[in-house]
Amino acid sequence: MTAATVSPNTQTGTARPWLTAAIVWALLLTVPFWLPMLGGYTALAARVLVFGLAAMSFNLLLGFTGVMSFGHAAYFGLGAYGAGLTLKYIAASTPLAILAGILLGGLAGTLFGLFIVRRRGVYFAMVTVAFGQIAFYVAYSWDSLTGGYDGLRGFSRAPLHLGPLTLDIVNNDKIFYYFLLAVFAIATGLQGLLLASPFGRTLLAIRENERRARFLGIPVERHIWMSFSISCCFTALAGALYALLNNFADPMGLHYSLSGEIVIMAVMGGMRAFWGPLAGAALFVILQDTISSMTVNWMSFVGLIFVLVVLFFPRGMLGIFQKGTGK
Amino acid sequence: MTMLDIRNVTKRFGSLVAVNDVSMRVEAGELRAIIGPNGAGKTTFFNMISGFFAPSAGDIVFGGTTVTKLAVTERVAMGMARTFQITEIFPELTVRENIRIGVESALGFRQRFWLGKRQVAGVDRGIEEALTHTGLTGQADRLVGELSHGDQRAAEIATALTLKPRLLLLDEPTAGMGEHETYAVANLIRRLHKNSAYTIVLIEHDMRVVFNLADKITVLGEGKMLAEGTPAEIAGNPVVQEAYLGKAE
Amino acid sequence: MLQLVLFNVTNGLIIGAFYVLMALGLSLILNLSNVINFAHGNFLALGGYIAFVLTPFIGFWGALLVSPILTAVFGFLIERVLIRRVYARDPVYSLLLTFGLAFIMQDACRYIWGPNGLPMTIPDGLAAPISPDLFFITWYRIFMVAIVIGAVAGLFAFLRYTRVGIRIRAGTLDLDTVAALGVNVGMLRSFNFAVGSLLAGLAGVLAAGQIGLNPNMGDDLLMPSFIAIIVGGVGSLTGTLLGGLLIGVAGALTTVFWPAASEAVIYVIMLLVLIVRPRGLLGEEGMMT
Repeated sequence: MTAATVSPNTQTGTARPWLTAAIVWALLLTVPFWLPMLGGYTALAARVLVFGLAAMSFNLLLGFTGVMSFGHAAYFGLGAYGAGLTLKYIAASTPLAILAGILLGGLAGTLFGLFIVRRRGVYFAMVTVAFGQIAFYVAYSWDSLTGGYDGLRGFSRAPLHLGPLTLDIVNNDKIFYYFLLAVFAIATGLQGLLLASPFGRTLLAIRENERRARFLGIPVERHIWMSFSISCCFTALAGALYALLNNFADPMGLHYSLSGEIVIMAVMGGMRAFWGPLAGAALFVILQDTISSMTVNWMSFVGLIFVLVVLFFPRGMLGIFQKGTGK
Repeated sequence: MTMLDIRNVTKRFGSLVAVNDVSMRVEAGELRAIIGPNGAGKTTFFNMISGFFAPSAGDIVFGGTTVTKLAVTERVAMGMARTFQITEIFPELTVRENIRIGVESALGFRQRFWLGKRQVAGVDRGIEEALTHTGLTGQADRLVGELSHGDQRAAEIATALTLKPRLLLLDEPTAGMGEHETYAVANLIRRLHKNSAYTIVLIEHDMRVVFNLADKITVLGEGKMLAEGTPAEIAGNPVVQEAYLGKAE
Repeated sequence: MLQLVLFNVTNGLIIGAFYVLMALGLSLILNLSNVINFAHGNFLALGGYIAFVLTPFIGFWGALLVSPILTAVFGFLIERVLIRRVYARDPVYSLLLTFGLAFIMQDACRYIWGPNGLPMTIPDGLAAPISPDLFFITWYRIFMVAIVIGAVAGLFAFLRYTRVGIRIRAGTLDLDTVAALGVNVGMLRSFNFAVGSLLAGLAGVLAAGQIGLNPNMGDDLLMPSFIAIIVGGVGSLTGTLLGGLLIGVAGALTTVFWPAASEAVIYVIMLLVLIVRPRGLLGEEGMMT
């Protein structure tokens, strides 16, 4: 509930930030109790959390810094591989795996960011895609380490030891869900704090008007780079959690088509709202799950979601609650 | 004391010479107006002063330091602030948040992730100060994008003032404004100059504003310096009348 | 060894030629409309499939002519119906739109023509090698390179000497001024999009003759085309041309000495260019920032 208490007043006066946060947390905390009644399963809720975190982390850039990354799958995937490789080759420790995932994705993002931050608009997007594919390519071709096309298998998340207490996140779906939720709470709490901080406000400044930001003494490129790097760390965390969820890391988790899906989650939920990307991720994951169980042509439907959102729903689910001049 | 000393600056874009060997000295506390017909090179001149781009030749000395090749953010750190012909603000944030970003930047909190109570209080004090200064207290919690043209301009000036600049550069502060708004903005500038002793350089089209406010006027034409002097001297200058006043109106 | 090198150099040129066709089309659209067409690889596939359908009726030569034109018409309609709606909005929307379009088009191709590869018949004369010594070089390869050279020359001539072409170039530099001069910018952009689609369709027919058809056939070309544009310098079509050839040949030469790194090398080239010359080989200053 960290995030509820720091829910940032970052965007254009969300109608009632407290109310949104309260609803979000009430829903997330009670998922395992009502989801089965609606015919869902806990792993689905876990996927919503993971992709929600990825989309919210990505949205630090799109929604709150105003730059477009279309390569964020790379950092998500690197997080997954970092966690998977650690569990497989180094130690059966879940916290260590998460840390390694964050480190791998975060460092890659920090390094690539150096080349990316001078671009703007669609060129920023283009260069992020190209850099993202480097990670895809490495994971895909480094067969001996990563399992190549088939993905990385043969690892499993390890039980969590908290002093005398052992949490069985391996076999108990519900406990694992609440473990994910705790990590999610810490991560989004930190994001909330970040956006409410002076540094976070400089990012909004850059989004709103880069020239004015510069003329207020804000070193724009450096701040975009920092934002990119932070966003990549959080996205990598989401990727690490994804590897724990599936006990599997997949090269398609690095592919740019996943980057596009992360972008559409953020936009569909409302990129100017703090919780928007989570709402978008929930809808997207559930739609994808439903559609892919009904037809093999689910890709067309996913594509259709993209087109419909762009044409008819550009401000997203939570966007309609916001005021602002709108564009 | 000389605040701004511009020595023989020239700016070429390809074969076009936008500004040709212009020099200008502005003393501390002075209000200088730069006038000239369209295409005279005024904005190019301004862009070199504020650091948008470097001159092709010549030097710019600000408060005794040569800043010719320094980046925008470095000049801002030295105490230079500017506004633009087309207002540059953060439209989807409130007036208060616009100003807050400036205050925090000026206090060096740009890369802070956390502020202590006392620091927050300091920031809030800076915000209130800027609001009262520019008469925006009543509008503080409205989105800047929803304000009137004149209030948007006031908000832009308020944000620039948070930097406590030693030199304030205003590019056409009354551009596109009606009678009433022009009057309000001109009044604001007069207060900043007379009551708060800001050093101000402004580009302006409205001659009433220029001749009422300026201590000295610099006239540019086709990139060259045509004349410099007090409003009275400029008004009586035949070269200026021919090249500018006669032609333009 | 010499044969191997020669084989790979010709391969590289052909791959480079495909990169060039793809990247020039992408670049045209990017420069005038500020849109990255993520579906460009699917336009290529569409061109291939249309040729596949037409060949039994009008033969390979007929299909080679008609299929790119039909792809262009399709591109024109897509621009008119969908893409033009988002020009005025944040660029993220145009990117998402073409992204979704890519998903739909790929799935549609799979639905209509099946997920497996289909062979494309080319005339017997073209399938033959040019000589017993150079058995690996078929006439078709020579023919492809010739067509690509012709198409690129045609494109540059079109942009330099025709009224529409000159307007497209002018619009790339300053669209507002072109609009102020009374040019119908909306139509110009649609037409320009069609030209980009035409190039993709042409590449599709040629590729189908070489490697056959499958629904993902354009995907492998999309990323190298992005890199060709970044390496060549955004805003410069000549740069895109050079970038495409450079990474094509570099990739093929690497295959000779270190096959595993053949794809890595194009990313390495991109990194080097971005370090040494961030705006790209022929990019204009400020265009990428």
